[in-house]
Amino acid sequence: MRLLLTLTLAAALTLLAGLWIPLKAMLSQELLNMAWAESQAGHRDVKPWPWADTWPVGRLRLPGSGEPMVILSGTYGESLAFGPGHVTASATPGEPGTVIVAGHRDTHFRVLQTIHTGDRVELQGSDGDWRLYTVVSERVVDSRKERLDVRPDSPDRLILVTCYPFDALNPNGPLRYVVEAEAAQPQMQAAL
Amino acid sequence: MRSMRAVDWSSDWSGKSSGKTTFTRRQLRLVQGISLWLAVILFFVLQSVAAQASERGADEPGAGELRMTTPNGQFETATLLRTDYRVRVSGLLADTRLRQDFQNTSTDWREGTYVFPLPEKASLYAMQLRIGERVIVGEIKTRGDARKTYEKAKTEGKQAAHVEQQRPNLFTTRVANIPPGETVTVELRYQQAVDYQSGEFELRLPTTMTPRYMPGTPIDDPERPVTWRQGWAVPTTEVADADAISPFTVNSQDVPAGSHRAHVELTLNAGLPIANVVSPTHALKPEWQGEQVTVVPQSGDIAMDRDLVVRWTPKRGQAPAAAVFHERWQDEDYLLTLLVPGLNGGQSVPREMIFVMDTSGSMAGESIRQARSALLAGLDTLKSGDRFNIIEFNSETHALFGQAQPADTAYLNQARQYARGLQANGGTEMAPALDRALRIRKSSDEASTKRVRQVVFITDGAVGNERALYQQIQDQLGHSRLFTVGIGSAPNMYFMREAARIGRGTFTSVSDINEVASQLGTLFSKMAAPVLVDIQTHWPDDEAAGEAFPAKPGDLFRGEPLIMVTRGIAPAGDLELTGVLPDGSSWQQSLPLSGAAPGQGLHRYWARQKIDEITDQRLHGVSEDQIREQVTPLALAHSLTTPYTSFVAVDKTPVRPVGESLKKDAVPSLLPAGSSQKMIRYPQTATPSLALIVIGLAGLMPAFAVLMLRRRRVA
Repeated sequence: MRLLLTLTLAAALTLLAGLWIPLKAMLSQELLNMAWAESQAGHRDVKPWPWADTWPVGRLRLPGSGEPMVILSGTYGESLAFGPGHVTASATPGEPGTVIVAGHRDTHFRVLQTIHTGDRVELQGSDGDWRLYTVVSERVVDSRKERLDVRPDSPDRLILVTCYPFDALNPNGPLRYVVEAEAAQPQMQAAL
Repeated sequence: MRSMRAVDWSSDWSGKSSGKTTFTRRQLRLVQGISLWLAVILFFVLQSVAAQASERGADEPGAGELRMTTPNGQFETATLLRTDYRVRVSGLLADTRLRQDFQNTSTDWREGTYVFPLPEKASLYAMQLRIGERVIVGEIKTRGDARKTYEKAKTEGKQAAHVEQQRPNLFTTRVANIPPGETVTVELRYQQAVDYQSGEFELRLPTTMTPRYMPGTPIDDPERPVTWRQGWAVPTTEVADADAISPFTVNSQDVPAGSHRAHVELTLNAGLPIANVVSPTHALKPEWQGEQVTVVPQSGDIAMDRDLVVRWTPKRGQAPAAAVFHERWQDEDYLLTLLVPGLNGGQSVPREMIFVMDTSGSMAGESIRQARSALLAGLDTLKSGDRFNIIEFNSETHALFGQAQPADTAYLNQARQYARGLQANGGTEMAPALDRALRIRKSSDEASTKRVRQVVFITDGAVGNERALYQQIQDQLGHSRLFTVGIGSAPNMYFMREAARIGRGTFTSVSDINEVASQLGTLFSKMAAPVLVDIQTHWPDDEAAGEAFPAKPGDLFRGEPLIMVTRGIAPAGDLELTGVLPDGSSWQQSLPLSGAAPGQGLHRYWARQKIDEITDQRLHGVSEDQIREQVTPLALAHSLTTPYTSFVAVDKTPVRPVGESLKKDAVPSLLPAGSSQKMIRYPQTATPSLALIVIGLAGLMPAFAVLMLRRRRVA
């Protein structure tokens, strides 16, 4: 009986921990939106909460998700828990070049599975301007075989990365789902 | 888990067979429903896990493999590239003539694009386009003008070349309208300073850049807007597989024989007898002709898949302690001076060493492990008589000792234990840590003034309030020296470099976290031997000294030279240098400028330093426009390629008939040997959320089962 009780308690806690992750992902976006508004107003990086190790670098509007999501700097676990992360080695949102954003498949980037070629994706950089991208491909890649290129002179596009398959249990799987979108107008002149 | 499902089914079964009151029955149904639901979830979960497992086993071609070879194993590109480096080292500057031959092997008119690296501090100052016998000299123009000129020439069918700076060490050459079957040559000249350290000169010739692979562009897409940027990684139309992606780098065996080979020839004219020439990267064949040495790689032409590093040492006892070079350019005097302080070796000073360690969450994993072992190695460099402290910071700052303690066995053991226990989590709050490290307590003031106070700041993080931190460093620095160490590809390397400059120390960038321990080891051993601090320079004509670089020299460590460049000072009189020796006594040396040897390209070296200084103002909030306004005239006057100025060369007469089209061809770079590990990995993009929910639900099942059985018994 005691064993059963312990098991039940442990299971309940595990369940809570599991549910807490998407909840945290949702709640943090609220705080992040505030930090983003503040950094927009003051033209500087604002941390969403005092002990944060990251800060908003842009916003992303995907079809099928109403409110734009705030993108955080960095893609380590700590920042991805709160919002999609900007791969710091890639181009900064708002600047020419390839911007790479990664997100968790079970929270923020779950919506990627509904995105198709031709869909429009919008990205806001620190200058406040929204840039329009059109999805040109969705692919599944094997992260053991492929790497991401962050070369400085890459074309103007937006690459969204999340884990694949979307409903897998294993959080450390090798497959990634990659959505590639191109800038609607070639931003060649922006490089000047 | 299967057995639990069996329990569910059996209880379900027995539940149906027994008669109950409506109330318990409803409850039972609810429980049954939940159990069923759980079972269904489990079923799907197991299925998807199984699916994942099978996916891993299958060798799916669609999973985005790198495909850049055609069926016959050759990388098909219509533009061949040969490169020829002729390097002349005279004194402290190396002047390189870099020739890029673009050979069009196809029957179409081609535009060739090639991205190539130059040394980080190199200045590209001349460009020529050679078509057969004709030579068209490139002109320096503002970036926008140069590009317009090139695009115009291209559409008019004229042969043209264009070279542009993308990053300090990354340039792009474009050649328009290469006739079918012909070769055009772009000749570039660049200049760089030679490294000199502990009596050894070093020159690095980068031939390829760090490989990156980008999930690429599907080919044969007529809808795609064509900009030149998209094409240059690889001629996508040449790739056989339609699903293949545009690779940026290729293996050396995948380019046609003869392409991507570099001819390299170095002429060393150091002005002093050279004892030996070695290379850690290639076998070399040096030939002596008096004091001049000609060096070629033993294997002849080299594959452009790794940097060529050449080191040479002067004959014993001939290592230069001072040198002065002079150049007169456009009625201005330029002087380049080198001075190695003549000091007795073995002199060491008591130090106060403060290790500041970032233990924020982003350091977790390999970074903190490496940093820990580096810290332990740093502790080993302390000698008796030194004092030290360790400060760790994340969201909060914590110091091992209240104030720096003597480096004796007891304290060191305590520190080692502390270092081993450092864990990474939390945020990155730098200001309090900096404050803690730089602030000197009144009581220890007396003891610490006699010591060299060194602060090592190890972090991978970024800061938002840079300017406040610069100010803080400036205000609090006092006699301390701040050495910054940046780990990983943190976005704020700029801050680290500038902080070290203001902190009058050095900046060490460790981009590969596997090299943290070794790179920090080098830094710590260098720091253990400070030789000369508080260096002041007095030029004969002090008014012009504002044009000297570096404006404020940092400390010199053993074996390090002080290299300075000035404009507007005639080669007459003495350059007076003063400094403070380890034991607190003053040091003085004068360098007669009248003995200057003639040098070349000094004005370009000076201009490059000046441009770097202007560009640095970006850190202090000077706007991009203002920087461009200042840099552009300087770059045009000295004809240097910068982010705001590029070279363009255009032939007078059109050669491509109006009716014929121009095909774009991007020449790929070779994949650097053995460096495939340096590409960026896909980030981890899943949470254990679903797994936790499933485990939690599964764990709750026995409880439901028991609950259900009890209900039945009650009924």
